[in-house]
Amino acid sequence: MPNILEVDGIHTFIGQFHILEGVSLAVPQGSITALLGRNGAGKTTTLRSIMGLNPPREGAIRYAGEPIQGKTAFQIAAKGIGYVPEYRAIFRALTVEENLKIAERQKGDLAKRSDLIFELFPDLKRFYRLPGGQLSGGQQQMLAIARALVPDNRLLLVDEPSEGLAPIIIEAIVAALRQLASHATVLLVEQNFRMASMLADRYYILDDGQSVHSGQMADLVNDRPLITKYLGAGYAGTPVTPTPERSN
Amino acid sequence: MVASLRRNRALWITAAIVLLVLFWMTRRYEPKVTASILLSGLTLGSLYFLMGSGLSLIFGLMDVLNLAHGALFMIGAYVGFTTYANPRLILNMLPLALALLGGAMIGRWLGGFLPPTLKRGWANRALLAALLLLSLALAVIGLRAFDLAPLAAATATATGGAVATELAQEASGVYLPRIALLAGAGVLLGVALTRLGKAEARRRARAQTAIVGLLVLGVAFAIVPLRSPVEVFLLGLSTNARFLLALLIGVLAGAGLGGLIEVSLIRPLYGRPLYQILLTLGLGFALTEMVKSVWGTPGYYMDIPAFFASSGDNCPSPNLLAWFSDHCQSISVLGRPFPSYRLFIIALGVVMFVAILLLLQRTRLGIIIRAGVQDSEMVQALGINVRQIFTLVFAIGTGLAAAGGVAAAPFLGVNLGLGAELQLQALISVVIGGMGSYIGAAVGALLVGFARAFGDQLVLAGIHLPWAEDVVRMSPSIARASTVLIMALVLLIRPSSSRCSPASRSMRARPSSGREWSSRCSSWRCTP
Repeated sequence: MPNILEVDGIHTFIGQFHILEGVSLAVPQGSITALLGRNGAGKTTTLRSIMGLNPPREGAIRYAGEPIQGKTAFQIAAKGIGYVPEYRAIFRALTVEENLKIAERQKGDLAKRSDLIFELFPDLKRFYRLPGGQLSGGQQQMLAIARALVPDNRLLLVDEPSEGLAPIIIEAIVAALRQLASHATVLLVEQNFRMASMLADRYYILDDGQSVHSGQMADLVNDRPLITKYLGAGYAGTPVTPTPERSN
Repeated sequence: MVASLRRNRALWITAAIVLLVLFWMTRRYEPKVTASILLSGLTLGSLYFLMGSGLSLIFGLMDVLNLAHGALFMIGAYVGFTTYANPRLILNMLPLALALLGGAMIGRWLGGFLPPTLKRGWANRALLAALLLLSLALAVIGLRAFDLAPLAAATATATGGAVATELAQEASGVYLPRIALLAGAGVLLGVALTRLGKAEARRRARAQTAIVGLLVLGVAFAIVPLRSPVEVFLLGLSTNARFLLALLIGVLAGAGLGGLIEVSLIRPLYGRPLYQILLTLGLGFALTEMVKSVWGTPGYYMDIPAFFASSGDNCPSPNLLAWFSDHCQSISVLGRPFPSYRLFIIALGVVMFVAILLLLQRTRLGIIIRAGVQDSEMVQALGINVRQIFTLVFAIGTGLAAAGGVAAAPFLGVNLGLGAELQLQALISVVIGGMGSYIGAAVGALLVGFARAFGDQLVLAGIHLPWAEDVVRMSPSIARASTVLIMALVLLIRPSSSRCSPASRSMRARPSSGREWSSRCSSWRCTP
């Protein structure tokens, strides 16, 4: 399968801090690729660099063979990349409908996709006219994912969709993401290793701003020393329990 | 409900105080006095709103506190007045401005032909700086001995209309070279603004820009011989038509200047709030000086258009319905005459409020603006060019201020201090209503307007304290201080800002996302 996204040795700074020190990864078309690593390893910054929100100073990013580094975020998004940021950055003052509508790139995008969205997330149909801020955490996460589905995105960057959610809601999100993979390629950042291992085909491990390991997810699950080394001992036990709910 | 009460505590407390005062007023004063205080408050509130809504929208969306807003209000007043009383100045300045603009567009296209090897570097930067200087020099030569001050002077006649100066139009032989020189200055400016090493920026500078630039340039030359006929035509129009035109031109000038300021001066400073505040503050002074150099220090008085100025036998009109047929200068409100033009100011405020509200609630642009107020970065990540939206909202905001300026001109007069005073009151009203909140800006403007009108009344009538024999007279400064007192009260109740709760703020500080280094956290605005 050709790679839809190739990141080649990017270096990204936030202020004076050198956050990414040479991250490289390749995302095959149609796959779910997980980006793993400890807190502060640079996973979120990698997604933001791809999206053009923290542009890298060095290195190359190619989307569908075309270099996109140096472009502004809206140009990158318009090429067909959807971004589901951490902490469910939905627009709290906007209704569910408006939250979806704002993601339209052409008139009628939402109408085309609404069946799929409501099938994945029936709750959104129920609360269509409610302000996003009044939804529960899980519903907000669903809205954030649904928003990335409205335009015809070929690649979705999903950042920690399970964060702060109850296990039962995580399951719903997992089911949705799995369905979603039939429509688009997914690059998933996830702290919850169990969830990542259930979803992803391939993985990359980041450590201290560098990509240190990659391979097939099926191999990683049985490689306890590797998991312990880069992801922490807590991940090594089987079955791996979801991380406890965190408050913001 | 409780949450919203708590979030808007400052607003509710201020509203409660105003209601209390209103209740006290109805007991203390005759109804006609109360009514006229309220109408005066509405008039002032309307002006504060026209100024404050733009301030609030701009601050909400881009975290820019535009301290030059008052200057744009004042420019609106000056441009409106000039269109109304002396279109000659506008007609003489228009071709020059168009030439500069058209030239800059062509220059931007030419800049795309600079060799791509031209990277950032001191030598190349010096080259562009030299071009910039050369462009300035050309502009200065082009404007040499072009004395705007006599052109700006208009004399009022006894019949209520104003006539233009006696100064003859500059001969085309002198005037056309000016346009050519300014067009040349524009071209150099456009080239000088080329961003080095930005391949993307080069590709965007397409030939369309140059074609539009040529068209603009053509228009600039074409309207030169039309200056006199158009002036005669405009001065022959009724004062009502001229007033509408003044409103239109004033708004266009304010919005255009605002858009230009955003693109050229504010855009490079996003994420640096301190620089922005210094910039807009300085810009306010600079714009005031510019107005002073064209229009001079003494103020002008703009006549009320005939639609609001009739003074027949049946005046003042007994009610609003009768006013529509006789257009009296004032309308009798419960037996006390109230100037009808001030009702127009109120109506303008209401119309603008509803129009912008519909824009925000019903259109895609409105959805984008409301979303951008919370998180403009996420809007960008959805594939929307937020920078364009920023420029548009800045232009809308300054256009609203300019509309307020034109409307205020016949009411408050046209002078250099017009903007500063209103900007302070508008800022207070925006702080009360909650920075970034549109409806908050409207409510805040009303509260400040009422406070001001009530303060004026107290100063005028004095206050009768139950334990004192005489009526206690107060200094007029009390009226001005009243609004500042309200703001102090609001800031005491909620020091950070009236809509920022600690919880929502901690949500914003996101580890490892880099947002904490951006302007967002250092600013004191949070969204509801």
